[in-house]
Amino acid sequence: MIDIENLGIVFGSGKSQIAAVKNVNLQVAEGESYGIVGESGSGKSTVLRAMVGIYSHWTGTIRIAGEPLKAKRSVSSRKHMQMVFQDPYGSLHPRRTVDDTLSEPLIIHGLKNREDRVLKILKEVGLGPEFRFRYPHQLSGGQRQRVAIARALILEPRVILLDEPTSALDVSVQAEILNLLSALRKTHGLTYIMVSHDLAVVGHLCSRIAVMNRGEVVEEMSEEQMRSGDVQHDYTRQLWTASQGYDRAALETFKEFA
Amino acid sequence: MNEMKMTGFQPDDPNEDPLISVRDLHVRFSTPKGPVHAVRGVSFDLRRERLGIVGESGSGKSQTGRALLRLTAGNGTIDASRMMFDGMDLMKAGAKTMRSIRGSQISMIMQDPKYSLNPVLTVGTQIAESCRRHENVSRPEARKRALAMLETVRIREPEKVYSLYPHQVSGGMGQRIMIAMMLITNPKVMIADEPTSALDVTVQMQVLSLLDDMVRERGMGLVLISHDLNLVSSFCDRVLVMYGGRIMETLDAKHLDRAQHPYTKGLLNCLPRLDGKHDDLPVLKRDPAWLNETQDLAGEAGRR
Repeated sequence: MIDIENLGIVFGSGKSQIAAVKNVNLQVAEGESYGIVGESGSGKSTVLRAMVGIYSHWTGTIRIAGEPLKAKRSVSSRKHMQMVFQDPYGSLHPRRTVDDTLSEPLIIHGLKNREDRVLKILKEVGLGPEFRFRYPHQLSGGQRQRVAIARALILEPRVILLDEPTSALDVSVQAEILNLLSALRKTHGLTYIMVSHDLAVVGHLCSRIAVMNRGEVVEEMSEEQMRSGDVQHDYTRQLWTASQGYDRAALETFKEFA
Repeated sequence: MNEMKMTGFQPDDPNEDPLISVRDLHVRFSTPKGPVHAVRGVSFDLRRERLGIVGESGSGKSQTGRALLRLTAGNGTIDASRMMFDGMDLMKAGAKTMRSIRGSQISMIMQDPKYSLNPVLTVGTQIAESCRRHENVSRPEARKRALAMLETVRIREPEKVYSLYPHQVSGGMGQRIMIAMMLITNPKVMIADEPTSALDVTVQMQVLSLLDDMVRERGMGLVLISHDLNLVSSFCDRVLVMYGGRIMETLDAKHLDRAQHPYTKGLLNCLPRLDGKHDDLPVLKRDPAWLNETQDLAGEAGRR
């Protein structure tokens, strides 16, 4: 479904040039859920942003269902891939109702039966029709993220890119959103790429996980490896250990990976 | 015994008086939408230990921390039948006394160093200022102590970092600088409100180990406020679990699995686990009765 070869993105020029993503290769099968973990600045979000077309100056090839993506996207090609952002407090327009937010992608893509589609999608993400004319400030964080997921899903895409979809939420709400995401994937046969700094969250939703550090994928692990901690690369092991909680003894072995 | 655990009391240790002792703390805010009762009858003692306060957003955990320093916003009021710090009654202390306590005796570390450091002063100046504000020392002396402090918080090349501005340092380093600023006055109690939430996991561990050392070496009391139950339980000695402005349960951090209260159990269960399967996570169901039950117990404890 998704085939990325040799992806590279460079920001800035001259002295302050930074290669945010270097030589990233990944293959994701249809209906698979793929995770990318890394610390801040590792380039994990940048990969998603290049895929969805927010950054256009990437190098390499990105193929979605066999079709190579170009730097300039057509409106119809954007329909197949949608993104859910980290912060539902920032990603929803504060002065537009849920109905406006959900109708806009339909208008852009010229789809009919807007009312039916909006009501149907609200139901699917677990919000009743009473939420349709509310503003974001009348919703809780979890409800907002449900609206953001509904907005991505309303175009019936085949690929959904999730950029830290639960890191702004409380743990109990996070559980609800993760359950919703895995249920939606099953019913619609969606392909996910999920980015997170939280190994446990990615491990819950994804079957294969790439670990990124400084713009490069250092290791790709299976879910079994992630559960047992049987990983090859030192950086992955360090990340895995740190995710287990505070451990004074293990901390002594930590080092910088440049 | 169980009842005492629930309200956050521990049998008094005859060898040691608590550094901070709080009974029946209430924080109320008056807002345009009506009164908000953020903290409802919280009681606990802090000794020379690492005490964690865990809760979700809106549980009143941060307001509890702020109330100890009387840093509640202007539209809020604090009530407590007792709020003692090291023999002083914080409820009766005037504004001037509070200023002398804040920063020098009890200090507070905020969540994000990006917003809590002054962007137009070098970090070194800010650390030295904290020292000069609370103690009568000369500028060169304050500078020397600030440099020593930077070294204590394991910053390499303190001379170089001293003259950097906050935007030139990373998040982890910023938080170390905050810690240096708070520790330079040798406080007896440190309140850390989500000190590591904005940081990467490995940096998080490094900052925590620093706090750990400081508590051990200086015999401080530490209150760690966080939403992360696993992190807090692996770091602290004792954990208070808050919900709806009340303490639901007090736990020995080593025995989190012995949690009795359904809220604590629910919180633990809804976390995705590294060794978990892909099944649906159990969703936390909130029982409105939780908001009343602890109040009864707190009342009993108050009478005792």
